[in-house]
Amino acid sequence: MPLQEQLTSAAARGEAAGVEELLRAGAQVNGVNRFGRTALQVMMMGSSPVARLLLAHGADPNVADGRTGASPLHDAARAGFLDTVRLLVEAGADPEARDGARSLPVDLAKRNGHAEVAAFLEAL
Amino acid sequence: MAHCTSMQYEPVAEIGGGAYGTVYKARDTESGKFVALKNVRVPTDQDGLPVSTVREVALLKRLDQFDHPNVVRLMDVCATKRSDQETKVTLVFEHVDQDLKTYLDKAPAAGLSPDRVKDLMRQLLSGITFLHSNRVMHRDLKPENILVTSGGQVKLADFGLARIYSCHMALTPVVVTLWYRPPEVLLQSSYATPVDIWSTGCIFAEMFRRKPLFRGDSEMDQLGKIFEVIGLPPEEEWPTDVTVSRKNFPPLSARPITDFVPDINEQGAQLLLKMLTFDPLKRISALNALEHPYFQEEEALIQTNS
Repeated sequence: MPLQEQLTSAAARGEAAGVEELLRAGAQVNGVNRFGRTALQVMMMGSSPVARLLLAHGADPNVADGRTGASPLHDAARAGFLDTVRLLVEAGADPEARDGARSLPVDLAKRNGHAEVAAFLEAL
Repeated sequence: MAHCTSMQYEPVAEIGGGAYGTVYKARDTESGKFVALKNVRVPTDQDGLPVSTVREVALLKRLDQFDHPNVVRLMDVCATKRSDQETKVTLVFEHVDQDLKTYLDKAPAAGLSPDRVKDLMRQLLSGITFLHSNRVMHRDLKPENILVTSGGQVKLADFGLARIYSCHMALTPVVVTLWYRPPEVLLQSSYATPVDIWSTGCIFAEMFRRKPLFRGDSEMDQLGKIFEVIGLPPEEEWPTDVTVSRKNFPPLSARPITDFVPDINEQGAQLLLKMLTFDPLKRISALNALEHPYFQEEEALIQTNS
């Protein structure tokens, strides 16, 4: 399996050690897999260790999903993972980005009952 | 079985391959949410899908109607004919973007609070009680398929698939972890729902230790590590239908479980030992585990507070 596939799969499984190893082995942090997605787009959103690693290696936090327009920040906000939301914002993710349905990350946090995440995003 | 509206679910990454098919993280483009797509390749003849597959899928759908809070939703099932000999069955499950492994890794250095462990255990056992009362065993419980939402809700994943898979298991060897396997499976004796209780016991200990309790690298090594903790079982408890002899193992006696799980309280230690019981017939059931005093302690506390 090419490095890109391995990196995105490890990120999606939340395997921080695996992600680190693959980056060291030369996997491109912003490279896409055969589905056209980067590791940050498909990572296990609750895994802040994976998010931290990818962002520290220069992962672009503002890549939108080709189909729905959702950014990683939309996905992390929808799932309610405050630690990941915070890391993404610190790395420059745009909280004003709208997805294909014109929703902001904060809208998705509210709609899914994640008050803490919504409060964090509103305070920006 | 409906045909997949293949456009609705778009794979974004492969998260599992293996003997029985491939698992993808995918996006439900209607809701925008992530889902897990599990594909199983099933041989077909002129009558269509094998009766066993149809029956197992029907069981999973029936389970889903109970809407149990501690198991993932089965959102969709579809069949795509690949050839005259093969059909791809796709099960679409709710995807939770955090598993217990990640959750434990993220816990502060001091570990999870005793109340948090108890709450996770109560939810885990509720999910297992539900599956067992519907005569479904999980067979492969491990931190990677116990999901935890951002709000701390536990949801079991990958249950009930073992039987669908085992009917059509290809010969691809897969690396599966032995760490949560009970002695009866390691010994290749017959097994039933108590297998899940053993795995749950291992996970209970891991919640305190934040590292696996028994980390064997082969079946025999795994058994050896188990006996170092629970002691070598008496001759009369050794299953008679197995080829591995009890004489292969040193005559160790049980050590206090608190040597291995120092942070557990007394009731917790008692429950843990009932889960890590060698004889599956003597092992506590999920329902009885939920009624164990370990879980009553906190309820008493809540009552005094309210």
